[in-house]
Amino acid sequence: MRERTNEQWLADLRGPNPDEALADLYDLLVRGLRAGLRSYGGGVDANAEDFAQEALIKITGNLGSFRGESRFTTWAQKIAMNVALTELKRRRWRDVSLQDLFARREAGDRGPADTQLTPEQLALQNTVLHELRRMVDEELTDRQREAVVAVLLEGMPISEVARRMGTNQNALYKLLHDARKKLKRRMEAAGLSPQEVLAVFDEG
Amino acid sequence: MGLAVRSEEELKRSFAMLKRDDVVKLVRVVAETRDIEISCDECFERLDIFAEMELSGVEASAAMPLVGDHLDKCADCRSEFEALLSASRST
Repeated sequence: MRERTNEQWLADLRGPNPDEALADLYDLLVRGLRAGLRSYGGGVDANAEDFAQEALIKITGNLGSFRGESRFTTWAQKIAMNVALTELKRRRWRDVSLQDLFARREAGDRGPADTQLTPEQLALQNTVLHELRRMVDEELTDRQREAVVAVLLEGMPISEVARRMGTNQNALYKLLHDARKKLKRRMEAAGLSPQEVLAVFDEG
Repeated sequence: MGLAVRSEEELKRSFAMLKRDDVVKLVRVVAETRDIEISCDECFERLDIFAEMELSGVEASAAMPLVGDHLDKCADCRSEFEALLSASRST
């Protein structure tokens, strides 16, 4: 592949004969995708071409948003990783609905206390647990609770929870940020420091 | 006496009932929360610049603390960042 400056990439891709630049960019994206997604295991390699093709369309359609603050190829790879990972997450979580996730949680183990605890420690844990439950209940909206449980407690990707809640990743991150801020303020107001809570739960 | 009847509101919220195991997870993320955090779109906007700094040996989190903070908190963006680093190193 021929080396190009950012300006040359843009000029070639926008020019009357973009085929060579498109082919070079496509090859670069495929190699980048193979390397970038190696940890995602089998199947990804076979999809690298599809992801590169989809990314190429996005990249050439958004050349105007490249501001030249990085190398053009890094910017293009960023878009390719986003395309690929969005799709891989969608596939991995395809069969999991929020309803299933919540139902499993309800049916699941309530997290019995460590039997090594003294009655005093157990009582303290129960008090803190009760207090935190009340904070979650009183401070958060229904949507914030859903997002907190699915993303922060159950580890589902934000983008996948967002899809199920009829919103997008960016908006859901903001909703979670607001939820975390509310809980933080409430804990501060109640004089309950995170360090204390972690110490009570033996994680200090 | 008799069966405890849960209100619709209680049913709706019961999935969110914190368990003992949740406490540490929740309190850790709450403790890390800052008033100012950037969103995923804002992080993505700067991710290429951040990655190039990191690749050139500059402490990117020190130069762009809000991006670094977002990547610490958001697993979705973190995975894209790590994939971008691997991709950039190999091409």
